Amino acid sequence: MTQPAEQIVDPSRGPEILRLRQLSKTFRVGFWATRVQAVRDVSAVMYQGESIGYLGPNGSGKTTSIKCMLALIQPSSGKIELFGRSPTDPLARARVGYLPESPYFYDYLTPVEVCEYVGKLYGLDARTRKQRTQELLGLVGLDQAAKRPLRGFSKGMLQRIGIAQSLMADPDLLIWDEPLSGLDPLGRKEVRELMIELRRQGKSLFFSSHVLTDIEALCDGVCILDRGVAVAQGRLADLLRRDALESEALLDLPADPQLEAGLRAELAKIPGLALQQLPTGVQAVLPTQAVPALIQALMQGGGQLRELSARRDSLEDLFMRKALQRSDGGQP
Amino acid sequence: MSQHVSQHGLKLSIGGPAAILARVAAIVGNTVREAGRAKLFYGLLGGALLLLAFSVVLSDLALVDQKARLVQSFGMAVIPLMCVGTAILLGAVLLHKEIDKKTLYAILPKPIRRSEFILGKLLGLSTLLLAELAVLTLCWWAVLVLRGGELTAPMLRGMGLQYVELLLVTSIALFFSALSRPVLSGVLTTGVFIAGRVTYVINDLLSATKGVFAEVPAMRALGKLLVAVVPDLGTFSVSDQILQGWEVPWTYVSAATLYGLSWAAVFAIGAVLLFERRDFT
Repeated sequence: MTQPAEQIVDPSRGPEILRLRQLSKTFRVGFWATRVQAVRDVSAVMYQGESIGYLGPNGSGKTTSIKCMLALIQPSSGKIELFGRSPTDPLARARVGYLPESPYFYDYLTPVEVCEYVGKLYGLDARTRKQRTQELLGLVGLDQAAKRPLRGFSKGMLQRIGIAQSLMADPDLLIWDEPLSGLDPLGRKEVRELMIELRRQGKSLFFSSHVLTDIEALCDGVCILDRGVAVAQGRLADLLRRDALESEALLDLPADPQLEAGLRAELAKIPGLALQQLPTGVQAVLPTQAVPALIQALMQGGGQLRELSARRDSLEDLFMRKALQRSDGGQP
Repeated sequence: MSQHVSQHGLKLSIGGPAAILARVAAIVGNTVREAGRAKLFYGLLGGALLLLAFSVVLSDLALVDQKARLVQSFGMAVIPLMCVGTAILLGAVLLHKEIDKKTLYAILPKPIRRSEFILGKLLGLSTLLLAELAVLTLCWWAVLVLRGGELTAPMLRGMGLQYVELLLVTSIALFFSALSRPVLSGVLTTGVFIAGRVTYVINDLLSATKGVFAEVPAMRALGKLLVAVVPDLGTFSVSDQILQGWEVPWTYVSAATLYGLSWAAVFAIGAVLLFERRDFT
């Protein structure tokens, strides 16, 4: 999902597996059936093997659009194609593994029974069901609790059984809604590693998260929703500013106050340079083209350059920028 | 294409009658298990058993040759009523529970059609009701034997017809369950059940020459509408004939079964149509 649907098609990428065409969903709520537009004109394409992060604050329309992709909700307008078919077609959904947000299963079932049940719904034979159940419960670390009813499970354990059931039919596309929520740090690490392993196996991943660092670490591309509108989408490499127009340096200034004052005066002459005192030293942010001037000033003024790096935009910066643009009435 | 082979060679049977049946069977199995865990079910079953036991005590007060007859009539009244209670109370919450507990969200995205899910739910509850009816009939038989009576073929046919009525009531409950919340579903199903049980009375009143249904046009229209849209559940109650010692012919049983199943199909299709249109937010 790296560009609006109308702009496609890139033959160098794998086959297209998911396409949203101007997806919109309006709910009617309350006694007066007030119209609330949850998703507005979202268009996107996802190719096989990609890993896409779906990002947005609470109420931005992430879960609604995911549910549209799985035919749990009917779009008010627009079209969705899942493996070239309508999501209402069971053959399309047979290739998808879905993990709902805060997954709930029948609490009287054991993890083995959940996998068995799900395996039957996917039309797997008994032998395959048994084999997959063993494999997956081992993979998510539930083999010790395989025969305990879910009612005594913690949120993290339920998340694990949710992940296991979503993998039961070896799906091509995984749609996971907040897969890392409810997990302890170790659990998060394990699930992140599992996601990397699944990507390595060629699975396509589409997942939502509030944790921007997770998305940055695991995704090729993102789609950012804000109040139902896709405000940014594309490859992370294209979206995040890594143009090195700005650099960041950590400096050691001389201990002598006179020398320090002299150096500061020299540094102040560099256009666009801003200094900030940090506990670890003095941070300088400056245009990359001014780096030679900085080094020269340091050498002459008795200062030292401890670190130098290109200043990089984070997903958080991007997200905040896009959200702010919309608040100001600007176009996404 | 009815089969999909996954990246690692797993064979998924998705289309075709066998695959559909397997999915419906999975839903049936889980529904039986889920509904069979309901305290309400055991409460109603226990209540029915207590009432049957009470009929033994009550029969002590009857004349010697009337003891078995009392147990017989008691059973024919209590068993269907308790089973209908189960059908209404469990049927009314059948879909809502899945939505409320969010278990549906993990099931419907799988390669299953909503119609298959509804069919599985309907057949699952029907299976449980069959088990309840069978257990109660067996206990009734034991009590009858204890009081010198016997379970005759017409009585068994009568219970068979009661089961058809149960199927119909279950599909009505499912229809309303797809439409509204449990309390309203329960009230509406009970309303249709009561109206269905008195349809024959309205029919009689409509064919009379005097009375409001014969003389007031608006009431006559209302009566005709009720008779047309509400299934006649009196069709399945043959206890009076059995108590009179009359035969319940197979032709009647077949016609009544066909009538009941047709109505059950109408409500089940209605439930599917409503369920297909629902958004699960």
